[in-house]
Amino acid sequence: MGTAPASRDVTSYGMGLAAPLALFFLFFFVAPLVQLFWLSLHNDTAGLHWGLGQYIHFLTDPFSLSVLGSTLLLGAEVTAVCLVLGFPIAWLYQRVGPRLQTIIILIVLLPLLTSVVVRTFAWIVILGRQGIINATLQSLGIIDTPLKLLYTQFGVVIALAQVQMPLMILPLITALGRIDSNLDDASCSLGAGSWRTFFRVVLPLSLPGVIAGCTLTYAAAITAFITQSLVGGGQMLFMPMYLYQQASTLQNWPFASAISIIFLLAVLAVVSVFTTLGRLSRGYGGA
Amino acid sequence: MILNRRSLMTTALTLGAMKAFPGLSFAQARPLVFATFTGSWEEAHKAVLVPAFRKANADAAMVLDPMLSVDQIAKVNAAKANPPIDVMLHDPGPALVAIGQDLVEAYPVEKSAYYKDLIAEAQEPMGPAPFFQVVGLTYNPEAVKTPPTSWADLWKPEFKGRVGITNLNSTLGTGWLVEIAKMRGGSEANIDPAFKALEELKPNLAAVAANPGALATLFQQGQIDISPGNFNAIQILKARGVPVEFVAPKEGAIAFKTTIHIVKNSPNRELAFKLIEAALTPEVQTTLMNPPYLIVPTNSKVTMGGEIARVLAKDTAELKKKFVFQDWKKINEQRSAWIERFNREIKI
Repeated sequence: MGTAPASRDVTSYGMGLAAPLALFFLFFFVAPLVQLFWLSLHNDTAGLHWGLGQYIHFLTDPFSLSVLGSTLLLGAEVTAVCLVLGFPIAWLYQRVGPRLQTIIILIVLLPLLTSVVVRTFAWIVILGRQGIINATLQSLGIIDTPLKLLYTQFGVVIALAQVQMPLMILPLITALGRIDSNLDDASCSLGAGSWRTFFRVVLPLSLPGVIAGCTLTYAAAITAFITQSLVGGGQMLFMPMYLYQQASTLQNWPFASAISIIFLLAVLAVVSVFTTLGRLSRGYGGA
Repeated sequence: MILNRRSLMTTALTLGAMKAFPGLSFAQARPLVFATFTGSWEEAHKAVLVPAFRKANADAAMVLDPMLSVDQIAKVNAAKANPPIDVMLHDPGPALVAIGQDLVEAYPVEKSAYYKDLIAEAQEPMGPAPFFQVVGLTYNPEAVKTPPTSWADLWKPEFKGRVGITNLNSTLGTGWLVEIAKMRGGSEANIDPAFKALEELKPNLAAVAANPGALATLFQQGQIDISPGNFNAIQILKARGVPVEFVAPKEGAIAFKTTIHIVKNSPNRELAFKLIEAALTPEVQTTLMNPPYLIVPTNSKVTMGGEIARVLAKDTAELKKKFVFQDWKKINEQRSAWIERFNREIKI
């Protein structure tokens, strides 16, 4: 690098360092994706006849659309639960002493240190007929027969919310940490109550974190094949399982490809809504 | 300098690639590759079949590459001219797919010393069945005092909210549904009665598991007390201390042929044949029949013993009487329609 001209602009940077990863993505992500798309444009399982049949099949089939809808709805429910439960923890983190901060961050990160399979099995133990919840409620005499918690939508949402919670809390902690605490005091001293301060000052300023957290949680929740199938069971069909069924059991790769492309586009649409909101919020926060 | 760096990079990448894909460097003479199933199958084959094969073939090199049937088919399909696998193992459904896609060779029956000893159902010219998988009723003896005797027992009112089944993704779920159809006057070609029966089963259903493995968890958690189940899977659970028992229903236990095939264009055709021969020998099948494997043999020269003799069959004649085989050709034709119908109708 001794030959580099002295007048070189130090603020510019080359793409050279990003090249290895870019190449990796090109070979192992973009190329398979193109192949997937190519395959989805065939009407027969052998991949000989071109056509849009797979897409037409999916988009005109109320059942397939309902699977897509319920998957997107599941993501929304999980994200909402994570946001409502996660925000207070992130908020608390910014207002406690360093020792408690360590404890909070440890508790938040702990789930990330165990495999998602283990976490999911833990939920099977908790939600089962003889699980912790049912056993407690029964011993307190609140219920006579065990509640059905496992293999229900409720169970899936709760388990996914816990499994994905760190993805929500960590961006929130970062976003809330960037807010100057003097702004709270200023708001209060100008006569706003604590709720008003929260909704007019803290929440708008933390929006980038909320958006980032929601995007991550949402994407992780709808694609969580393991948790969805282990806690939800075989009668609750979400997109990942639908895909697996078509590709693996039925060997119908073109339809499976079409499902994944449609799923990808649906997720991209939701994520782009989030990012648009994020961009708007940056303008709002800066104003 | 740029050139130097570039050539350095190329060397590094090549070395890296050779490290990551060792197959590159000796593509010509690779050892025999046997794609068995993962889990207990792999363990059993590693411990019994591989040593038997190597002993009989002067320590010939071979590799176990455990993977699902669908992955085996995909891998061979991707490189038909020079397949990375020599011997495939399949459930009845995928076996027909592999044969249909022209991925396997006919078994050289006339050369085989053991083929003729197999019971008739296991003699498949495109790849014989060295093992059976058997599906019957599984129940928790602590909760179910009178052992069930028939598939129809699943519909008994006393099992309200206690029955588990699996969806049709698995061979087990699909085979079971066909058996229910037969019980209600249907067949492989007429599945309607089974779906009507499922509708009536709904009050009893506690869970529709996404795969047969999940049923084991549900037994452990007390979520279900009775379900259709795989004989081998139940033995593993039992060995772990879970209170479960297996019983063959009076309609007959469902037997799935696990078939073993020589891959077309295999560079190790001769060794592949030898491995399959080893899997068909009475010695290997007898060892695999004994604990802890408890795999049901197909060679009629094997004397049934142990748990298999106790709950399944004492000899080949009884085995033939108690096992039902299904027509997977017919099943495969309609399986996707059934799966779709199951997806739509079974919501609990």
